[in-house]
Amino acid sequence: MKLGKRSRIQIYFDILRILCEELKNDKPSLTRVAHIANLPYDRFQKCLNKLIQLDMVREQNGKFLVTEKGFEYINEYERINDFLRRMGLLP
Amino acid sequence: MSAEALIASEFVSTGLALVLVYLFFKAYRFMRSTYLLGLLIGFSFLASSYIFLGMFLFYGNNAAISESCLWLRLITQGYGYAFIAFAYYFSGKSEKTTKYFLGLISLFSAIFVILFFVALIVAPPFLELPSIGVVDECLRVASLIFLGYIICNLVKHFESSHNASSGLVWTPLAFSLLWLVQYSLLIWGIDGSQTAFIFAHIARLVSLTLFIYIYHSSGRVGSETRKA
Repeated sequence: MKLGKRSRIQIYFDILRILCEELKNDKPSLTRVAHIANLPYDRFQKCLNKLIQLDMVREQNGKFLVTEKGFEYINEYERINDFLRRMGLLP
Repeated sequence: MSAEALIASEFVSTGLALVLVYLFFKAYRFMRSTYLLGLLIGFSFLASSYIFLGMFLFYGNNAAISESCLWLRLITQGYGYAFIAFAYYFSGKSEKTTKYFLGLISLFSAIFVILFFVALIVAPPFLELPSIGVVDECLRVASLIFLGYIICNLVKHFESSHNASSGLVWTPLAFSLLWLVQYSLLIWGIDGSQTAFIFAHIARLVSLTLFIYIYHSSGRVGSETRKA
């Protein structure tokens, strides 16, 4: 995980991506997701609440699932990031 | 090349440039990085320069309108390449510096354009403005310098890139074609070569299409892996 200052958009992307990866486990631990996302737990909770508000994550039986909108966000972020990288504007 | 074919070429170029404006607007809305505004403004200026050239060809019989369109085309094209080069220059700089300088450059550009057109309309006899041909050649040389800077920047960037792939070739190629467009038009301005003129129009369409292709080929690997 990068340690440089991340934008809010990048933090949301990191959380969504890690949630996707961790969903392969039966019940991903939020502490683990916060740890991998390199965020203090309280800040991670705020971001997660925001993602729920934005309908990108939903809670189901104690599990946090990435919604269709969340997947679209991940795809769009990756596409724009790759586009800017190919344009020579990102490292 | 007939006037109809040239107008059609300008029309298609405007459409392609507007697609690029939309793509950079989308990227800016997503990333909120100020340097992306340089590309957004730059391609908007390029799109307007194609519109003005189309208008110049369309209103060929009306000297007043066609001359104004040609001046507007020269200025918007020069600013277009300048803003794209600024975006590349500021892409590695801090957000605060980029905001400050982009604001300053935009302000001075706007003041210069306003003063220039005021001078063009109410120019007193003692203040003779240079001919369009001279300004055209000067701005073309400036555009070549801006595009040369972008190409050098891209080559350096891709040489130091750890994640090198074949997809990285398209951007320097597209900007090299834009450089060749300006160079061919410079030759056409000097010796009137029709081959250079036709090549310039074809190369411009190809380069703008290449930028759109770069966007459409981006991010495929990630999404395809996720779907699988």
